Amino acid sequence: MANQPLPLSQETLAQFNRSMATEPGASGPPKRRLGSISTRRSSKDQPHHRPLFLRGMTVPSSELSFLSANVSNSHVSMGKRFSFAGWHQGGRVSFSGLYLQQPIQEVYVENTCRTGPEPGCHFSATRTKQILQATLDSYLEGVCYSPDSCSQLCLMLADLVLSELKDVSPPRYKLVCQVVVGQSGKQGIRVASRSLMNLSTDNYTSVVFQNHSLFAVALVHGMYFE
Amino acid sequence: MEEYHSGDEVSFSPDDASNVVKECIEGIVGGVDYSQNKVNQWTASIVEHTLTQLVKQGKPFKYIVNCAVMQKSGAGLHTANSCYWDTTTDGSCTVRWENRTMYCVVSVFAVAIAL
Repeated sequence: MANQPLPLSQETLAQFNRSMATEPGASGPPKRRLGSISTRRSSKDQPHHRPLFLRGMTVPSSELSFLSANVSNSHVSMGKRFSFAGWHQGGRVSFSGLYLQQPIQEVYVENTCRTGPEPGCHFSATRTKQILQATLDSYLEGVCYSPDSCSQLCLMLADLVLSELKDVSPPRYKLVCQVVVGQSGKQGIRVASRSLMNLSTDNYTSVVFQNHSLFAVALVHGMYFE
Repeated sequence: MEEYHSGDEVSFSPDDASNVVKECIEGIVGGVDYSQNKVNQWTASIVEHTLTQLVKQGKPFKYIVNCAVMQKSGAGLHTANSCYWDTTTDGSCTVRWENRTMYCVVSVFAVAIAL
């Protein structure tokens, strides 16, 4: 925006207007300039606004329209009657001049864009096997098979193994743990497992424990989930 | 093009899985007696067939199929499983089958994958 001219005195303005009005062939643009000069006042000059407005009323209607157009273009706020200034700033300005509050936006968590586990954070079959073996050995050492208590023992072992593995397993891995406990007798038993998994990210491990009265087989699968 | 489920979440159906498992068991060891020589082959066939049938359903799951075949001799057998997963999308199903000479326990675990 151009530098604002110094405020003109009323007499100078009136003289100028008379000269402009009497000039032959006065066209639109000069009148527009007239309007622009008169309105480029800083907001500090509040006392002068009323006389200015009165002056505008005596001018023919065409000039009045230019005046009002220029008021909106020149960013002059002249009290409550001329609050157009805010429109051109492009912001959210109400007629009272106060900014409207932005609505509270929900927080959206961005995608991590991970398609696989981080290097070094894979499911470790060897470490899981060590933990499993240690758990079974410590809990089943010297335990005798009993039909009443072994069902509870089996459940407890499965939960225990899972809770221990949850602490050490890498993030984004789902765990499936199965424990088979049976009485050691002269029967034959075969436990087999087959799975559909992604070999680059998933793995499994199995451990067998046996003593004089019972045997236990623990199977753990770790599946990566995005 | 293979059909795949997108957008809507598919949860595991234990009933469908147990029907598949029962048919597989019946087809492989139905009406035969326990044999030490053949038990390896039976367990391998049961898990393989079950897995193949489950995969044919075309659902977005990773599967684990466990099978235990034990000779009937009066000894006791207990199985338990514990899983750390999303209970809304993942599931399991266990089928117990027996005949005159052996017990067969098959467990199927289905872990959902993100699509």
